[in-house]
Amino acid sequence: MSRDDSPPTGVRVVDVRLHLLSRQVLDVDGEPVTTVDDLELVAADAPEDGRRDAVPGEPAEVGAILTGPVLLTRLLGGRPPASRWEPVPWSDVGHVGTAIELTVQADSLDVHWTEDWLREHVVGRIPGGRHDPEEES
Amino acid sequence: MKRLLGVALGILTAIGGFVDIGDLVTNAVVGSRFGLSLVWVVVVGVVGICLFASMSGRVAAVSGRATFEIIRERLGPRAAGANLAASFAINLLTLTAEVGGIALALHLASSVEPRLWIPVAAFAVWLVLWRVKFQVMENVAGLLGLLLVGFGVALFLLGPDWGELLRQAVPPSPPATEHVATYWYYAVALFGAAMTPYEVFFFSSGAVEEGWTAKDLAQNRVNVLVGFPLGGLLSVAIAACAAVVLLPAGIEVSSLSQIVLPVAEAGGTLLLALVIVGIVAATFGAALETALSSGYTLAQYLGWSWGKFRRPARAARFHVTMVVALLLAVAILMTSVDPVAVTEMSVVFSAVALPLTYVPILLVANDPEYMGEHVNGRATNALGMVYLVIVVAAAVAAIPLMIATGAGS
Amino acid sequence: MRTPARSGTIADVGRRARITRSGAVLGHVLVLAVALATTAGCTVSRQEPGQATAAVADALAQAGSAVETTRLTVRLLDADRVTTPVADAAVLDQVRVLEESTSALTTLVPPDDVSSAQRDAGLVAVADATREVVAARAWVAREAGGDLSEAGAVPLTASELQADLARAADDLDTALALAGGA
Repeated sequence: MSRDDSPPTGVRVVDVRLHLLSRQVLDVDGEPVTTVDDLELVAADAPEDGRRDAVPGEPAEVGAILTGPVLLTRLLGGRPPASRWEPVPWSDVGHVGTAIELTVQADSLDVHWTEDWLREHVVGRIPGGRHDPEEES
Repeated sequence: MKRLLGVALGILTAIGGFVDIGDLVTNAVVGSRFGLSLVWVVVVGVVGICLFASMSGRVAAVSGRATFEIIRERLGPRAAGANLAASFAINLLTLTAEVGGIALALHLASSVEPRLWIPVAAFAVWLVLWRVKFQVMENVAGLLGLLLVGFGVALFLLGPDWGELLRQAVPPSPPATEHVATYWYYAVALFGAAMTPYEVFFFSSGAVEEGWTAKDLAQNRVNVLVGFPLGGLLSVAIAACAAVVLLPAGIEVSSLSQIVLPVAEAGGTLLLALVIVGIVAATFGAALETALSSGYTLAQYLGWSWGKFRRPARAARFHVTMVVALLLAVAILMTSVDPVAVTEMSVVFSAVALPLTYVPILLVANDPEYMGEHVNGRATNALGMVYLVIVVAAAVAAIPLMIATGAGS
Repeated sequence: MRTPARSGTIADVGRRARITRSGAVLGHVLVLAVALATTAGCTVSRQEPGQATAAVADALAQAGSAVETTRLTVRLLDADRVTTPVADAAVLDQVRVLEESTSALTTLVPPDDVSSAQRDAGLVAVADATREVVAARAWVAREAGGDLSEAGAVPLTASELQADLARAADDLDTALALAGGA
């Protein structure tokens, strides 16, 4: 699946619609990051220095998991500009199961500014907002 | 020994957590108007919720995926979005009913006006969600909810004519004064009260909260298969109390204060006080569960980080969602709408919304990709298909019956 | 380009499309249902003579239930089997029920003389019942220790109050029989 690897033996066929879209994405600690709202497709034979858009009829591969405003356009149609994408590079994906597991931590990704904003400005400021409920209080 | 204690605790909390304001009001209303002639619906509902809850618990334990994650995966963003809108709205209605129920019960305990209790109750719910450990929350609410056994005690103290009660129940013989459509309207309402969708959101997400794995399936099955039927017995006791005391006097239940009068008649002030504490606990527990469910559904659809087991700051949007849902519930109640009327609405709409969660769970419970060797067995699937028909029939019939009977009047 | 390629079989794509469509339809149906349900509760005045009589009977049955609840509450409080907050709440709830019955009757437009007479008899009976239930609430308040002993209209004993309530219940029954109810 990854651009950096040659296809492994015992290839597993993954249906993009059935197995990737709308799947839960978990970070390396099992914390939910997002749901796969859409995918970025890039040309399979991208040059070293950068990626190239996929061309119809030629081999393509998944470049990144997209989230954020893409959900709205998937519901209503249209497409947000690339600057509004909130991508998770496919190279960070470790395993595709009943959820997509990443090899990095959620905080290292720049995909959920609403969560960060609410954490810093609302929830984190209420007394007990950073208290671990599983500890004895 | 510790294991046995765990099993006992699980069963007890399942009993205490079974009854919420919907069961309480609907069973009392039905008992006061139809005697025990609708008890068969409680039986059907209890078997249904056992099937449904054990299935969603199994899916959550084996695949690690909670209900709404699965709904989105299976239906795609659009259909799941429509499903989310409907489920969230009905869950909000149930939350409103539960918070109103806490306020009404506290009114009975204190004679302070319900409108003053509503914000207090909502704040207390939030505080528990914010601060208290998931399992402590579950166990305390469930065990205190067990005080509703007082309805069963009251029934025995009343010393009813058991033969007459049985005659009402089998074969079901509704009073001649009630219209057939009204009978079926309340049948649907009772079914919706027993099988509220929030119980499934809560059950499957709770399994993830408590970190269940395939190893915990046996415990899960015992909790459900023993706890829920005993909880259903509580429902029947509530209906029977109303059937014994209120029905002969020509009293139609329209408020919480009427529901507890048979208990006072049978057991005096002490039993009455215990039952009122039980009602506060049961509605409070259900308010916690519905508030959590509002966070669960939205967070799971959008893939947010969720769960009470995380620090609130690590699930910020989840916690904000619950606060917003609670504030909306308070706002609705502050329009001085009657919480009992909200409850009656919420159970009927629960029946309408049931297929939206039931069908995806049934599909996934049969999908080896999620479930591996734990897919539904043949017997479970046969029962699952029977309930598919019942659930869809109830959902389709609910709204026409509501209109035809003027909401049961 | 980032179009998610149409992978999977055609049937798969079609199935998804169908599911999506039925979901959207379901959404519309739900919205419609909520709208209908909210308006369904507003049918107070009924036009057919039979329906008007049925509406009178409904309102009277409701009022009868309220009076019976009050009788039960008074009996329980007199026997010290119920706490005063519960008794007060129970009677207060019945005052509200009687308000509902009254407004159901007053907003009714009787289409003929028969149902008009039934409505008038019902209004008198419900007004009488309301007076007795309100008196019962004052009695409950006095039992609770409220200082209402000098208030003139409050019956002094539970048995007096019970007799008044029983009479109100009988009047309601008579009016209900007139409207063809059980």
